[in-house]
Amino acid sequence: MTPKAAARIAPAGAGIFAGLKVADFTWAAAGPIVTKQLSDNGATVVKVESFKHPDSIRLGGPFTGDKPGINRSGFFADFHSSKLGMAVDMSHPRALEIIRPLIEWADVVAESFRPGVMEKWGLGYTELKKIKSDIVVLSSSLYGANGPWAKHPGYGAQGQALTGIHAMTGWPDRDPAMPKGAYSDSVSPRFALAALMAALIHREKTGEGQHVEISQIEATTQLISPEMLVYQVTGEVATRSGNRKPGSILHGVYPAQGEERWIAIEAVDETQWQALTAILGHGTALETARAAGQDALDLAIAARTSPRDPFELMAECRKAGVPAGVANKASDLLDDEVLTAHGHFWPLHHEEMGTLKYNGPAYRFEKTPSELRFASPRLGEDTEAIMLGILGFTAKDVDTFRKDGLLQ
Amino acid sequence: MPTSTAKALAGLRVLELSALSGAVCGRVLADLGAEVIKLEPEGGEDFRRSLPRIPTRLGEESAAWLAFNFGKKSVTCDPDTDDGLKRFAALARSADIIVTDWERMNLDAMDRLAAIARQANPAVIWTEILPFGRGNPYERCAATDTTLQALGGHLYLNGDVDRPPVRIGLPVGLIQGGAEAASAALMAYWHRLKTGEGQRVDISVQACIVWTLLNSTMAWQILGLNEMRGGAIRKERANRFFTRVVWETRDGHIFFGPVGGGGGRAREKSYEALLGWMAEHGFTDEILTRHDWNGEGQFAIPQEEYDAVTGVIADFIKTRATRELIDRAVRERILLAPISTIDGVFQNAHFRARGLFVPLRDDRRGLDVELPASWVRMGATPLTIPSPAPVPGANDADFSDMVQGVPA
Repeated sequence: MTPKAAARIAPAGAGIFAGLKVADFTWAAAGPIVTKQLSDNGATVVKVESFKHPDSIRLGGPFTGDKPGINRSGFFADFHSSKLGMAVDMSHPRALEIIRPLIEWADVVAESFRPGVMEKWGLGYTELKKIKSDIVVLSSSLYGANGPWAKHPGYGAQGQALTGIHAMTGWPDRDPAMPKGAYSDSVSPRFALAALMAALIHREKTGEGQHVEISQIEATTQLISPEMLVYQVTGEVATRSGNRKPGSILHGVYPAQGEERWIAIEAVDETQWQALTAILGHGTALETARAAGQDALDLAIAARTSPRDPFELMAECRKAGVPAGVANKASDLLDDEVLTAHGHFWPLHHEEMGTLKYNGPAYRFEKTPSELRFASPRLGEDTEAIMLGILGFTAKDVDTFRKDGLLQ
Repeated sequence: MPTSTAKALAGLRVLELSALSGAVCGRVLADLGAEVIKLEPEGGEDFRRSLPRIPTRLGEESAAWLAFNFGKKSVTCDPDTDDGLKRFAALARSADIIVTDWERMNLDAMDRLAAIARQANPAVIWTEILPFGRGNPYERCAATDTTLQALGGHLYLNGDVDRPPVRIGLPVGLIQGGAEAASAALMAYWHRLKTGEGQRVDISVQACIVWTLLNSTMAWQILGLNEMRGGAIRKERANRFFTRVVWETRDGHIFFGPVGGGGGRAREKSYEALLGWMAEHGFTDEILTRHDWNGEGQFAIPQEEYDAVTGVIADFIKTRATRELIDRAVRERILLAPISTIDGVFQNAHFRARGLFVPLRDDRRGLDVELPASWVRMGATPLTIPSPAPVPGANDADFSDMVQGVPA
């Protein structure tokens, strides 16, 4: 084992999860985002991929140099900071010879397959518990382990449609607009992590492990819990309403100077409204527009924002206590003064992809800071180091496994 | 199925001084078994009256307040009075986690209360949900959910190109910030279990929104690509071409990315199944098989070809009812989903079969409703069963019991 390989598998010296061991079978986005919170806070996370069927987001762009390649996806990279990578032929009849010691080593097993896949490998919860009696297992899937759609393949874009997020986005006179991304992949990790933490806390206090099973879409329905209550009590079905929001004096997204430049502005109360009219000028005309209704007000505001530089206007609003936000493009985010001041992006070096800024966590711990320790693993990058340094196999064992086709 | 009635967070006490996001944090912790005590001024916190409201026997009450505050306790505590401060300190001594958010109080008020709480109880986890996090020059800037959807980069990516970017019509940042806070507070509590050390945790809602983009910041760094927003037609992932993702059915809308949405066998099989179905109804245009629409070459297919193929598929989908599409999709693994409206989510057969919805009967309010409360299945420590939300000061009589036995 090279010193570099040995250094990668050495447990973190600090971080909330230093010493916590995770066997990570998750793939795509919703699962890996959860285990990233563990690895970026010091846990040793071994990501297990089947080299015959690697994580599918390795096949999703953007690719370095615009050239698809198994170790070139920025999509994959962002969710795999501080994780170790191991590649095994999981469909090999002897795969458990390698995986069993990994489970014995682990405190947590995480997986996000369609229900049945782990069972097929002999790694269902019952089997895992036989190997390690106090194991905590997180299973995250789009639909959950049972129910009529449990085995239906899907991803988060379907998830946001099924949970009302998609229907709540767009203009009332047009088809619902698809929100960017795969929203249930972004929402569910926050709930999954809370549940996983609760299970770990229970285990710490009682010694008892358990199976935590989460459906990504069920977690995402928490976002429309109030609207479902409204529906049950009044029969009213909330729907997309463009950028209108009842209760605010002003609430909209307005044009600004530059190509595709927009600024969201909201005046929640009279103080903010007065401050805004002072910034935009022509207060009397704006009062008249306000009295004439939302359409007239939006037009009047847009006429005043469109010649303005969006960032300067936002700075003025901030100074005056008016909520305003430039509709940041991805390029803006990398330069955003607030995110920069918050230390959001972490530059990490990857052998094939060079140095890229990874997204760090949205939370900050005063005394136990998170740390993105290294870039995402290339497929199987740490296989040998894990086999020798964590699982206790010999170099001869590794050679034999290779010859037999379990390892590449 | 759970074999016990033990709660994962049994014995954990949470104090909540919140508006929306802090209440969501408390919601998650309460579901996992913590005792959550709301501290409210006389007459209740302002958020009880936020929009939209529903009629109950107690008057008009906020739907979001009810949805996120059932099963909690309420104690009258006004930290602006001497007596209130004493009560606050006494409760803080007994608490494990205290959560607050910027819609409830400003940073000065937070600092003042944090100092009192942490002096009374150095081991407490002080949790703050803020627009931009702590410790930077922007920590005090005004913000709302919509301006944060803009600043987090998500707003820019949603909506038809001939109109301004459009928000998700739900307070997604605030709710996700609350769930993120629950996760982070439990991580800090885990650290405390091991070391006895308390600390402050803060959440940036802007950063939570950045986390909903999935690959946008990487797409900019790697390809210099700022994705353009879309509505029913958009560029999926980091594609250079537009594809249709929202389709009109005979009686509603579905989400479906049949072509050009990225690689993977599931996509290819889904498309094959669609073609088989279309053929049964005489839709056999040559364009449907002119390209390998989901294979490696998909990135090189001209836009006009995508437009042509989606035109043919749209003609077919228009002839089908949503229910028929979904049933067939589940049977044949076609990657589509209904764009469910709020009532559709509430009636969804899969959620119903899995038992997502849990009844809540609140006689005092005259409410007999169902909540999407079963968002995770914990094998050993089932979630708390919903019980009514407290009236302001509902637990005032229990105050001395609550603080008894806690060393001063």
